[in-house]
Amino acid sequence: MILASLKEVEFGYNDAPSLHNATIEVRSREFAAVTGPNGASKTTLLKLMLGLLKPWKGKTFLAGKREDGRPLKVSYVPQQIAAFNGGFPSNVQEFVLSGCLSSGSWLRRVTKEDRELAEKSLRQVGMWQLRERRIGELSGGQKQRICIARALAQRPDLLVMDEPTTGMDEASRKGFYELMRHMVDAHGMSIVMVTHGLEECRPYLDRIIELERKGEGGWKCCTTTLCSGHFSPAR
Amino acid sequence: MLHYDFMQRAFFAGALIAVVASVLGVYLMLRRQALMADMLSHVSLAGVAAGAFLGLSPTLSGFLTATIGAVAVEYVRRFYKTYSEMSIAIIMVGGLSTAVVLMSLNKTMSKSFTSYLFGSVVAVDRSQLLLMLIVTAAAALFFFFLRRPLYQMTFDEETAKVSGLPTGLISMLFSVITGMIVAAAMPIVGVLLVSSLIILPAALAIRLTSRFSAALLLAVAIGLAGVMSGLTASYELSTPPGGTIALVLLAFLAIGVASQKVVRLVRAKSKHAAATDTEMHSYGPIPRLGEDSHTS
Repeated sequence: MILASLKEVEFGYNDAPSLHNATIEVRSREFAAVTGPNGASKTTLLKLMLGLLKPWKGKTFLAGKREDGRPLKVSYVPQQIAAFNGGFPSNVQEFVLSGCLSSGSWLRRVTKEDRELAEKSLRQVGMWQLRERRIGELSGGQKQRICIARALAQRPDLLVMDEPTTGMDEASRKGFYELMRHMVDAHGMSIVMVTHGLEECRPYLDRIIELERKGEGGWKCCTTTLCSGHFSPAR
Repeated sequence: MLHYDFMQRAFFAGALIAVVASVLGVYLMLRRQALMADMLSHVSLAGVAAGAFLGLSPTLSGFLTATIGAVAVEYVRRFYKTYSEMSIAIIMVGGLSTAVVLMSLNKTMSKSFTSYLFGSVVAVDRSQLLLMLIVTAAAALFFFFLRRPLYQMTFDEETAKVSGLPTGLISMLFSVITGMIVAAAMPIVGVLLVSSLIILPAALAIRLTSRFSAALLLAVAIGLAGVMSGLTASYELSTPPGGTIALVLLAFLAIGVASQKVVRLVRAKSKHAAATDTEMHSYGPIPRLGEDSHTS
C-alpha cells in the first residue's frame, strides 16, 4: 500500500524552484532514506510529503487510513525543536508520555499501558536512566533521542525523521538503525529518514531516495529500490 | 477593608483574573509570546479611546478591540514565521498610535484614562465583574479541555500538526482567549502593567518545577498570592493597585530566584550532586538488539 507520494512536484521558497519534478512513493512496511548534499531540499521534500508545505505544481498524497481502515498515525521528528530551551518545565518521562496521549480523546486518562509504552520507548533509545531529568538540561544528542522515543511512543504507522542520528556516536547509530529495522519488520511501521550517513545505514534500508542536481533548475529525485535482502539481526 | 463593596468586588475580580492570567502566562512564555499581553493591552487602549470618542461603553469597545487585535496578530504571525515577535511590534504600534490620535481628538476624556492606564480598585463595577466571570469560565474551559494539545503545540507546532491536531484553529482560539483575559484584567492592573499579572507568576513557576502541570498550579498560587497581597497593600498605602501588585510579584520573583540559587549552591557542595552528575554522564549508547529485551 502507498502511504505517501509526490508526483511531479515543483517547489521553491523564492522565485526559482529548488525542487524540480520530484516523484517519490513511500510504501507500507519499508525503511527508506532520503539523501543528498546540503541544500538539496531534503527537509523540504519531507515537509511536502507531510502536507506542511504546499507544492507549486504537481500532486502530493498522504494516506488518511491504513489497509484495515483505521486512521493512519503519522509521527514527525524534525531536525530542531526550538522550544527545547533550558527553562522548559517538563521532565523526560512526561515529554515521552505526551507521545502516547497524542492519539485518542484529549481528555482520556493516562493508563498503565501508556506508562509501560513510554518506559519501553525510553529504554529502546537508552534514555530510561535520565527519565527524571528536566528536558532543557539535556545535551543535543540526548534531546534527539527523547524526540525519537516520543515518536516511537505514538506507535505510528509512518515515522518521518529529519537527520535523526545527528549528535549520536557510532555505537548509538548502529543501535538506532537496528531498532528502526526491527520496528519495520516486527511492528509493520514505515520509516522515512533524511540522512548523510548513507553507506552506514544502507544494509538496513529498503529504499534510497537520492536528490541530484538538475542543471540550474533545482534538484530532482532519483529513487533506488534495494533488491537484495537487507541486514536483519533477527535472522 | 472587606466591609466595602468595592473592595469585595476588587478581591473577587482579582482572584478570578489571577487564576486564568497565570495559566495563560505559562503558555505565552513557552510559546515565546511573552510580549503579546503588553501588545494587546495597548490595542485595547485604542478600543477604550474609540468607545469614549463614539459614545459607546469603553469597557466593551476595549474588550472587542483586544479580541480583534489577538486575531490580527495571529494572521500577521503567519507572514513572519521566523520572526514571530515582529507581528507583536506591528500590531502594538497600530494600537498605540490609534489610541494617541483618538485621545487628542477628545481632550475631555484624558482624566478617565488614568484609571485605565494604572488600574483602580473602584473601577470594577458589577458589569465588569460579570464580564470577568464569563471570561474566567471561558478560559478555564479552554485550558482544561485543550491542555494536551496546547502542551504539544508549545513544543513544536509542526509535529503537533503532523500528529493530526488542528493547530491553526487552536492557535486562533488561544489568541482570542488571550485578548479576552487581557481586556478583562485591565480595570484592576491597568494597561501599562497588565502583562505583569500574566508574565511574572509564570516566570517564577517555570524556574521552580520540572513538571508542566506543577508549573501551571504553581503559577496560579503565585498569581493569587501576588494579587491578594498587592490589593491589600494598595488599600493600606493608598497606592495604585496595578503598580502595587506588579511590585509584589516582582519581589516574589526576586526572592524565588535568589532562593533557588542558594539551594543550588548548597546542593552543588553536597555529595548528592556528585551522584546525580555521575548519573547524567553514565547513560549509554542506544542498545543493540539482543542487548535489550524491551524491543519485542
